[in-house]
Amino acid sequence: MTSFRYTEPMKLSIQTTREDQRIAWLAALAITIHIAESALPSPIPGVKPGLANIITIICLMQYGWRCAAWVATLRVLVGSILIGTFLSPSFALSMSGAIASIIVLGLASRLPIEFSAIGYSLLAAMAHMTAQFFVAYKLFIPHQGLFHLLPILITVAVVFGIGSGIIANHILKKIREQQIES
Amino acid sequence: MTRTTLADKIVVTLAVLLLPFLYIEFWGNSSQGEVVQIRSANSETITLPLDQDKQLKIAGALGISTIEIKDRQVRFIDSPCKGKQCIMTGWLNKDGQLAACLPNGVTVQIIGRDHRFDAVNF
Repeated sequence: MTSFRYTEPMKLSIQTTREDQRIAWLAALAITIHIAESALPSPIPGVKPGLANIITIICLMQYGWRCAAWVATLRVLVGSILIGTFLSPSFALSMSGAIASIIVLGLASRLPIEFSAIGYSLLAAMAHMTAQFFVAYKLFIPHQGLFHLLPILITVAVVFGIGSGIIANHILKKIREQQIES
Repeated sequence: MTRTTLADKIVVTLAVLLLPFLYIEFWGNSSQGEVVQIRSANSETITLPLDQDKQLKIAGALGISTIEIKDRQVRFIDSPCKGKQCIMTGWLNKDGQLAACLPNGVTVQIIGRDHRFDAVNF
């Protein structure tokens, strides 16, 4: 009979940079908001405050577009796995929305004009909603009647986009005040 | 930047201006149907353009249903059923609207350009 010899467990260490850790922290925060929000009842599918968007905007303005892109995609991926909608239609919608808003934010941040969080957040919300709507129309509900929902959905996007932007502005102000103090 | 900038104001204004346009576009004169599809238990499905006025007689399970197409609208004029629900449905003029005479097994539906199915569920 062979005896098992105790061997040291192999130590796996991954070198993480400060940026990796920052992305992980912010993504965790965004995922928490995303999941909390998914528990909210919604009158029409797709109508959601999108508060996790706040984290994406803060990432963009504080740490740059790369960080924002990571946090947004990680949020949708991990959020969907935890909620149980991974690879379902609602995942396809969230992912397309996140990708569209990240692309729009990338373009907007490269423009020579300067936005505050409100402008970024509104642009992101509109991009998110529009992309989601067209993916829903093309893949899941290819019926003209869906267009009746579009005005409501865009109104919601505008209202929550501006709302999230105002919140993001306040948070950014606090972050920058603390940075100056320390 | 944590203060509202000129760019913000432009984006917010454009977004708010877009809204009434969307409501007018999609809620105002809601998309008119393109063709009308008439199904009957006794005969083949007939598809007709909505812009040609016409009166049709369709043979159903009980007898003849009369259907009228006029001014991009369609309705049942007569049907050999008891309830006359199909006639009371009145004019159909919007994409997806449907009138049916179930006793006679005849339905009339307006169909848009891009009609495949109502929805997909998973």
